[in-house]
Amino acid sequence: MMTVTVTMLSCSDSSTLASYEAIPLEVNVPSNFPDLQYNLDNNPVTEAGFELGKSLFYEGKLSSNNAIACAFCHEQAFAFTHHGHNLSHGVNGGVGFRNAQPIQNMGFQTSYMWDGSASHLDLQPIIPLTSDVEMGETLSNVISKLEQDTYYQEQFTRAFEDGEVSTENMLKALSQFMVMMVSGDSKYDKYVRQEDNVSLSQIEMDGLATFNNKCTSCHATDLFTDQSFRNNGLPVNPQLDDKGRFNILEDPSDLYKFKVPSLRNIGVTYPYMHDGRFATLEVVLDFYDTGMVDNGNVDSTFSRPDGTLGIDLSTYEKESIIAFLHTLTDTQFLEDERFSEF
Amino acid sequence: MKITKFTFALLSCAILLSACSSDDDAATEDLSGQTGDLVLKFDNGVGDQDFIFGTEYAKSNNESYKVDNLKYIISNVRLTDDEGNVFEYPTEDNIFIVDEEDGNNAGEIYITLENVDAADYVSVTYGVGVDQERFLLGAEGQGDFLDEASDEGMMWSWASGYKFIRIDGTFTNDTTTDEPLNVHMGSVGTSLDNYRELTLVLPNSARVRTDDTPEIHLKADISKVFDGTTSVNFADGYDQVHTDATETPVIATNIQGMFSVDHVHND
Repeated sequence: MMTVTVTMLSCSDSSTLASYEAIPLEVNVPSNFPDLQYNLDNNPVTEAGFELGKSLFYEGKLSSNNAIACAFCHEQAFAFTHHGHNLSHGVNGGVGFRNAQPIQNMGFQTSYMWDGSASHLDLQPIIPLTSDVEMGETLSNVISKLEQDTYYQEQFTRAFEDGEVSTENMLKALSQFMVMMVSGDSKYDKYVRQEDNVSLSQIEMDGLATFNNKCTSCHATDLFTDQSFRNNGLPVNPQLDDKGRFNILEDPSDLYKFKVPSLRNIGVTYPYMHDGRFATLEVVLDFYDTGMVDNGNVDSTFSRPDGTLGIDLSTYEKESIIAFLHTLTDTQFLEDERFSEF
Repeated sequence: MKITKFTFALLSCAILLSACSSDDDAATEDLSGQTGDLVLKFDNGVGDQDFIFGTEYAKSNNESYKVDNLKYIISNVRLTDDEGNVFEYPTEDNIFIVDEEDGNNAGEIYITLENVDAADYVSVTYGVGVDQERFLLGAEGQGDFLDEASDEGMMWSWASGYKFIRIDGTFTNDTTTDEPLNVHMGSVGTSLDNYRELTLVLPNSARVRTDDTPEIHLKADISKVFDGTTSVNFADGYDQVHTDATETPVIATNIQGMFSVDHVHND
């Protein structure tokens, strides 16, 4: 009965009922994580702002055909990647150039996209939103669509002091949603934080030891990335001819460099590499062992004493690293209803 | 000629004197709390010619160019008065796109600054582009500028950054004819900062009062984009300037030097 009354009330006079609600939400920073990079002072997370960001994340109106939401290529069950797609497709059948990256722990990152072409989380969504092969929209047109929607009229009012349905507020809400998306409760996390008496199996421990020995110069810290850009000796796919970070500054030393990805939830984010060329972790490790090629600018960390490129990995080392990598799967995050569409 | 100048100087003195003797004695005039408007008039040219879309302009190295789209971002406008006080326009509103297409018949683009502290301003300072501090705010305090910049094609869709200047057209040189010319120079996040500021001393002070709106007539010599502090050649890759770490700082510095104050109108 209460519900009915409230619903009727909100139908009859919705806009006057909503008002700014500054109920803060705390961003969880796991104790084993590096410092948060995102400046929350400029955009403090509130319940209403987070809810708005979530609605926008799942909102098709952000695209020109009203069908491609952010979540189209960023599905929660796969750590917000595009399940099984090496490259993703957007409006009007457009196909992108790179594999959709996971959305997790964004507030800890210093740059975004495979080539680091976004350096502020607030401004990152402009890229997919306005890209012809992704969502194909303009910021002002998205805003005019949202302005006509009573839900958004109210939710922007709840979320922001000025209450305006504006690009600034839309981007802030998306950031509020994304900074809350912290994945730090995997088996590995509980092990390193000594929570719930969680321990790793022998093979997982062996994998961790090998990983620490052979992988952490790039996949550093408990974010499992040093956030640098490196050329890992992938054979260049002539069809895409993706020069990576070179395309930004056109600095020859940036040729074929891509951002070192985090390995969190790597067990569910296949396929791998910037173009999604590898379907399994086994293929990835085989590549690092024997598949690297000298494309002219390979990171020196991969140079063996004999001049060849690669990381020596025995069969058991590969098996155990993969076992360890699966301990980075954070089921709690993948099933967290706060981030779910329904 | 000499006489004319002398007469003019006398006349100016007379005007000044009469102004002083009336109600505006600077020594006693209390301007506190008083505000008014000030107009920045941007007038694009190429050397001694007006800038006109589609007109062919010659540059160094026997190259020429025609432009059909010309825009740039101006921000952080500050005014310094005769006592050294600096008036800074409110940050959130202190960013503008100067678009040649918005020009009046004389090709002038107006930026009106409102609620400027009443004073006699002797210099104007501004930046071309978006500074690092503003960029690092993210969406905070950007107001409608994100939409405006995006709609005006002053943001990249493949990178989250602003194009500080946008020149689209064609170029011709000894080897090619009417090839695409696109100068889209900007910063790249925090890894490449191409924001530049400049200060222009006004030939006469701009007198802002509630009822007096001075106009500062600024000229931008577009030829200096290519033949400024450094002369650059389309043949060497400056026909396509986007985020290149070598080319963009050269263009940024050239643009920093392309502005001058032609005159100031006080009404």
